[in-house]
Amino acid sequence: MNLLIPLMVIVPILCALFLNLLHKKDRTIKTIAIILALILPALPILANYGLHYFGGYAPLIENPTLSSNLPSLITGTALNTFHPAITYSFQGAQKIFIFILGLVGLLVVFTSLYETRRPSGVYGYMMFMGIAALTAILLTDDIFNLYVFFEIAALATVGIVLVSNVKGNYETALKYMILGSIAAPLLLLGIALLLGVTGNVNITDIIYSLKNGLVNPQNPVLLMACGLIVFGWLYGSGLPPFHTIKSAIYSKALPSGAALIQAFSVFTFIALGIIILRIFSYLPFSQWVILGVSLLAMILGITMAIVQTDIKRMIGYLAVGELGYIGIGLGLGTAFGITAGLFQAVNEAIITAFLFIGFGTVLYQTRISDTRKLGGMMARNPLVALLVLLAGFAMAGVPPLNAFQSKLMLIQASINAGFPELGVIMILLSIVTFMTFMKAFHAVFLRPKPADLELKNENIPKATIVALVVFLVVCLVFGLFPQVITSYLQPLATSLTGGIV
Amino acid sequence: MNLYDLIVKKIKDIQGAGDDSAITNMSTSSMLTAEITLISSILVALIMLRMVSKILMIVAVLVVLLAVLVAMPLMPRFKKEQNDSMDSMLFYVMLALAIVITLFYWGNLNV
Repeated sequence: MNLLIPLMVIVPILCALFLNLLHKKDRTIKTIAIILALILPALPILANYGLHYFGGYAPLIENPTLSSNLPSLITGTALNTFHPAITYSFQGAQKIFIFILGLVGLLVVFTSLYETRRPSGVYGYMMFMGIAALTAILLTDDIFNLYVFFEIAALATVGIVLVSNVKGNYETALKYMILGSIAAPLLLLGIALLLGVTGNVNITDIIYSLKNGLVNPQNPVLLMACGLIVFGWLYGSGLPPFHTIKSAIYSKALPSGAALIQAFSVFTFIALGIIILRIFSYLPFSQWVILGVSLLAMILGITMAIVQTDIKRMIGYLAVGELGYIGIGLGLGTAFGITAGLFQAVNEAIITAFLFIGFGTVLYQTRISDTRKLGGMMARNPLVALLVLLAGFAMAGVPPLNAFQSKLMLIQASINAGFPELGVIMILLSIVTFMTFMKAFHAVFLRPKPADLELKNENIPKATIVALVVFLVVCLVFGLFPQVITSYLQPLATSLTGGIV
Repeated sequence: MNLYDLIVKKIKDIQGAGDDSAITNMSTSSMLTAEITLISSILVALIMLRMVSKILMIVAVLVVLLAVLVAMPLMPRFKKEQNDSMDSMLFYVMLALAIVITLFYWGNLNV
């Protein structure tokens, strides 16, 4: 069943290619997209845990037939344990992350197909290509392979914005690419420095080299590599100073596209964050940097969100702020803190998508995202208003919804780790998150409808309502039974603190 | 002039002539909330400096508090600074790169 591991990447890539080839064949695109989107969350559920080797073979130590014919110069050294292939590792945490990514992908594809008059093969291509790239980023144990998919994800993000037809999308996409052309090569340079010092791109082998004295961990080149990889991480996840462009990117995509792009940001954040912790955990400074950047993201993201007047921009900044919570969990460096951070990542990917698609219904009906020109939508769609209200409750951490559990865990973890100040800041910012959401909710749903507000589409597609209900059910299930998720995340968190992975 | 009018005037002054968006009750209260959140978060975060030195923490909190009181309101300036202009984005990206590399390189070597 380990063949399902590569299929998690291959299926969305194949789907993306088919959709692009079949552009303009509307019915075929719809059918293929829905069938293959349904497979996305199913694959990680069906796949067994294990490793998959691309373009090579298992380490010699696990391959006695091959190693018996080799000289002791190879088998008697560290080469015996190294991974001479691009290795994909599928464990409990990856199962949850890829399942959630697949679920968000499925609901986003489902929504986008029914919200547009003619499904676009190119848009579908971008979405599936992005999902494939993020799945690979979550699975790969090869840091160069990660970089390749990191770039593909960035290009897919730009593509999703380019095809959105939102005013100003080309300019924002170009700015994102220009900033990417600075940050991504620096990430690659960091990887190249790591390769230069350790002679390896496999993360497990790099850690082995550092822990067993094959290379000097205090080598200044490694410090530079860590700094550059951290810089790439800031860009990929939209942490400061990239929070402005990332929120702009969300606001220039269609709501379904923004829902997917924020999931890309969340999973890039944790994939690179975990790699930084795995490789550079011996530098206590790396955890301080993660904490500092996360704190900055929380403060800047949430304070900027409340002063926005565009709904998508507001949620975009809130999404950046929520990333900070995940980073606090990772930066605390305790098993409980990391579990809480990873759980918050899972929750944020769902809740922000829920909010983008929920508020997206207003955009679908009015084509307006400026809160100053909106109002009275509650009378039109009380059910959607209720669902959006619950999404806002979930983001602010109101019980019994999922973010309540993860935020509570984060606050407990920060107190246990000796940082009660972080707990105070997280509570304060959760209150402001709630205020921000209520400001948007009041402007869009509760305020009387402006006289000049025209509805372009009367009815919201049933597919969108179904997607919102599914998001709510997931939020409730994860909120009522958090151990369902944390039991998958705990082994990874424990191994990160023990430095075993 | 009451306090509210004073706040609105300050926001208008910082916003400048370039931004023609109206200053409503909602935008003013949002700005005030953001201001209070920003200042209180920074001050609470500074308390963590107690891990390094308690004296440093007290000095830092007092210095920042004084600076904030003098420079208030901060949020309209922050908002103006975090705009979508390519120039300011590039400036902050370069600044962040310099800070990250400096901190990692010298921070780790000298700890």
